Amino acid sequence: MATKPLNVLLFGTAGVFISLLGMILVIANHWNSSEVWSGLSVVLSCVLALVGLLGVGGVSSGVVSLLVAPRAKDKTGFDLGLSMISLLPAILLAVVAVVLVEALIHAFQIPVAQIPAPTAVIQKFLESRQVLWRDTQTTLLEAGIGYVIGASLGILMAILVSRYQFLNKGLMPYATIFSSIPIVALAPVIVKAAGLEWGSKAAVVAITIFFPVLVNTARGLLEVNPLTIDLMRSYAADPRRVFLDLRIPNALPYIFNALKISTTLALIGAIVAEFFGSTGSGLGFRILVETGQASFDSVWAAINIASFLGIVFYNLAALLERRVTGWHVSFRE
Amino acid sequence: MTRSRNFVPMLVVGVVLIALYFPIMLLANYPAAARALQRGAVLECKTALECSFDMRSPIIPAPAQLLIGFSSLYFPPTSETSVPYNAFFTGLETLSGLLLASIVGLGLSVLLVASRAFERALLPWLVASQTVPIIAIAPMLAVLLGQYGVEGWIPKAIIAAYIAFFPIAIGVSKGLRSPDPIQVDLMKTYNAGSLQTFAKLRFPSSIPYLFTAFKVSVTAALIGAIISESATISGAGLGKMLSENSRASDAVGLWLVMIGSAILGILLVSIVGWLERVVTPWQRNH
Repeated sequence: MATKPLNVLLFGTAGVFISLLGMILVIANHWNSSEVWSGLSVVLSCVLALVGLLGVGGVSSGVVSLLVAPRAKDKTGFDLGLSMISLLPAILLAVVAVVLVEALIHAFQIPVAQIPAPTAVIQKFLESRQVLWRDTQTTLLEAGIGYVIGASLGILMAILVSRYQFLNKGLMPYATIFSSIPIVALAPVIVKAAGLEWGSKAAVVAITIFFPVLVNTARGLLEVNPLTIDLMRSYAADPRRVFLDLRIPNALPYIFNALKISTTLALIGAIVAEFFGSTGSGLGFRILVETGQASFDSVWAAINIASFLGIVFYNLAALLERRVTGWHVSFRE
Repeated sequence: MTRSRNFVPMLVVGVVLIALYFPIMLLANYPAAARALQRGAVLECKTALECSFDMRSPIIPAPAQLLIGFSSLYFPPTSETSVPYNAFFTGLETLSGLLLASIVGLGLSVLLVASRAFERALLPWLVASQTVPIIAIAPMLAVLLGQYGVEGWIPKAIIAAYIAFFPIAIGVSKGLRSPDPIQVDLMKTYNAGSLQTFAKLRFPSSIPYLFTAFKVSVTAALIGAIISESATISGAGLGKMLSENSRASDAVGLWLVMIGSAILGILLVSIVGWLERVVTPWQRNH
């Protein structure tokens, strides 16, 4: 695979930069002779040294290829459809950012009670992985059950709305109003009414999700091209057929769009609801309690888990979408 | 026209919803009231049914209780413990957060559009941020900013801005890219520099996208402001009222603050809609 020399040069420079930051880190550690110096830091410095070597190699090969072929217009280079390679700059940026933060925190000896170093967060994550795993399970249970209930109720209600004009006129204006209510105000009320168990959090999630799913699904079921309805009528199709063969397929992209948005809303709902009372586990609970004790390494570990869950949850919904509505125009090349 | 046609169904649905409130309330309160009577608590009411309407700490408050609470929590609106006073502060924090987020978002989007390398390094993270519950960071950020001496309404506005920032940055950079190549070519034939193209073509066409992003992020920013208020119990705001009432287990207060936040949320969304109509009058289909 021929690569663009400019890109190689760019990545090489980034690599050198990263390893320079790593050197600052090592020096800062020695200078302050801090006790944070641990096995993890050694591994990190080894990795950084390796990255630096690769970077030096990258820079030199980039320079050489620039000198040899200064005007190589190779379009196949980085656009080979390799998504990993197109993500490389982003990954590099993250690595640079993490190493920079690590180096600065060690150099200025910032205490954990203010900003924990990334390695401290990883260490904390490994130390308290059992507690965090229990928290993750609780939050997943709340978000998952609330998601399923809220989404199915929303879809059912949307089917009713599409069937009865009266409901469409009477209910939908309220639905748009309700969707601008902040969940955080709803959460304490529901936690107070339904108890501290996981059920109250699932209820918050279900209510949060219900309205976007309802509004989107109803739009998909109702906004059908009048011409296709006429066509169905000319086929003498009964309302049931029109519904199954026309309205539902028409609504599927809308439904999945709502389901994708709702994955994030579900996690936000569960975490925010846990802020207002829980039985002692859950990521939101962990974040709040550890914030109160200023042990920000645990907070960051919990935040990272929540972010990871959010990305996984979203991509699961996207995967389902591609499986079910793979025929849709938006997926065609 | 559509409003008058929708009026009767909306009224009927509204009445049904209100009528449903009573049985749900009774269903929730009755067992608790019966238990309180059995324990022999000295109460003014005789039967459990009566008691469900005026429990001191109801599971779901009765409408009469809400009305009494309303008159004490909403009037006078200038009092420091009233909902409107605190809602005003929360609203102000949210709006200044949106302003801050749009300034920073605009700056970043200019960089994203100007530099391809920048875009490739940063855009994937911006996109991924949309699927992450960013709100989780709010309590810690509030405490952290407090440690560095940033107090009052400013840290809440910063957190609101932080939460609103990601959708705004994505929306604006999409908007800056939205002009047709033909339009860009036309600017070129006028011998316009890239700065002029930006000021006269790219920037104006990004403004509708900015408002679309606003609509997505205004509720999120409001949530951020409220959460950070409840994490640092200093100053004013709905979040402070929520956490105080939640700790005191005052259901009536919680309901009234919830209603206040709902009104604030609706108000903020309509302010954004009004701003959009004023700023972009050329957009017809609002």
